[in-house]
Amino acid sequence: MARAPLPNAPGLDSLIEALRVLPGVGPRSAQRMAYHLLQHERSRAAQLARALAGALASVRHCSRCNNFTEAELCTLCRSSGRNPALLCVVETPADLSMVEQTLSYAGLYFVLMGRLSPLDGIGPRDIGLDHLLARATDGIVTEVVLATNFTNEGEATAHYIAEMLKARGVTASRIARGVPLGGELEFVDIGTISQAMLDRRGL
Amino acid sequence: MTRRRAVHEPGYVLHTYPYKETSLIVELFTRQHGRVGLLAKGARRPRSALRGVLLAFHPLHLSWSGSAELGTLVAADWAGGQPALSGIGVMCGFYLNELLLRLLPREDPHERLFAVYAASLAQLAAASDRAAVLRCFEHRLLDELGYAPLLVRDAASGAPVDPGRRYEYDPERGPLAANGSAGAVDGQTLLDIARDEYSRETTREEARQLLRALIACRLGSQVLHTRAVLAELQDL
Ligand SMILES: [Zn+2]
Repeated sequence: MARAPLPNAPGLDSLIEALRVLPGVGPRSAQRMAYHLLQHERSRAAQLARALAGALASVRHCSRCNNFTEAELCTLCRSSGRNPALLCVVETPADLSMVEQTLSYAGLYFVLMGRLSPLDGIGPRDIGLDHLLARATDGIVTEVVLATNFTNEGEATAHYIAEMLKARGVTASRIARGVPLGGELEFVDIGTISQAMLDRRGL
Repeated sequence: MTRRRAVHEPGYVLHTYPYKETSLIVELFTRQHGRVGLLAKGARRPRSALRGVLLAFHPLHLSWSGSAELGTLVAADWAGGQPALSGIGVMCGFYLNELLLRLLPREDPHERLFAVYAASLAQLAAASDRAAVLRCFEHRLLDELGYAPLLVRDAASGAPVDPGRRYEYDPERGPLAANGSAGAVDGQTLLDIARDEYSRETTREEARQLLRALIACRLGSQVLHTRAVLAELQDL
């Protein structure tokens, strides 16, 4: 919906415009947020502004795993208890924290901060593949675990990385897919069951 | 604007774009309506029934209502019967989708091309000769768009193409006999393309170049993003 700009509040307009960068925030929510901050939360809005400026100044990418950190190396990469021969590739920091919560993976990570999506114009050069390649061929890594999403884009990304690694003699593996743990077939989506049927294994 | 609706129409998702907070714009290739753009309201909500269904390369049954320009998706059901693409097959599938998105106008029915597209996906999933699948699709697409390349006759003399000769290829006219070993393609390559025969090594290479050039003429200044990635992975 079109909203006429307020003649006397260009600052409000630019705040609304700025809030729209947040994922899932359209013009209407952005307007609601802006009014809320300015009407009821002025001191906390100032806090938000300071936190945002602070994070922008101090947060950067870990030089080994590409995840967000404030130091040269993130805590995970500095930790001595991990197996450096295993490298798990994920699309986002959120995916990394999901794998961490499983407590079933003891290796290190690489965060792509994206995925290949040729139809959106996102190619190999737009995600950190050169960086990943250097990392995977450092002589310490022996297996790269590809944990990109099971979307077409995630699948294409996994394939591209696997081919890149194969050409350099590095072993790559792909996480398995199928019916979720505790999943009752009756309530699982058709696509997943169909794929699980095709990927069935002998017992 | 004409009001239209479709019920249980066979189709495929070509691509989706996020729209507003929780919705998607879905670009579809459907059997009877050709390329259709629809609004899928709430499709990005975590519990949406459309999540996990609106995926490219899977046969779907689609129902929609509203105007031709941007109708509203009412239902999308899994039609099944085809394994997911994997590895290089996904990239080939993206390439087919990019061709359709860039070259097919909306609401222009292409039932024959739809059948070719469905068969191509099945072949890509079955890991058959992928380069041949792409070449046949490119050829059919040019055909459907009204730019069927002349392959069996010399454009200047009208003489049948000689498999033993070399030819230049004028994108607007067709093959022109060249002198000796000059020219872009073997006569054999042209005849092979005409009958979808891609077992000969020289044909594979020359057909790839020729069909690429013919498609480039139709694309004008548009760049195909998927082609660069495919070329990097394999000579497809
Ligand atoms: Zn790190």
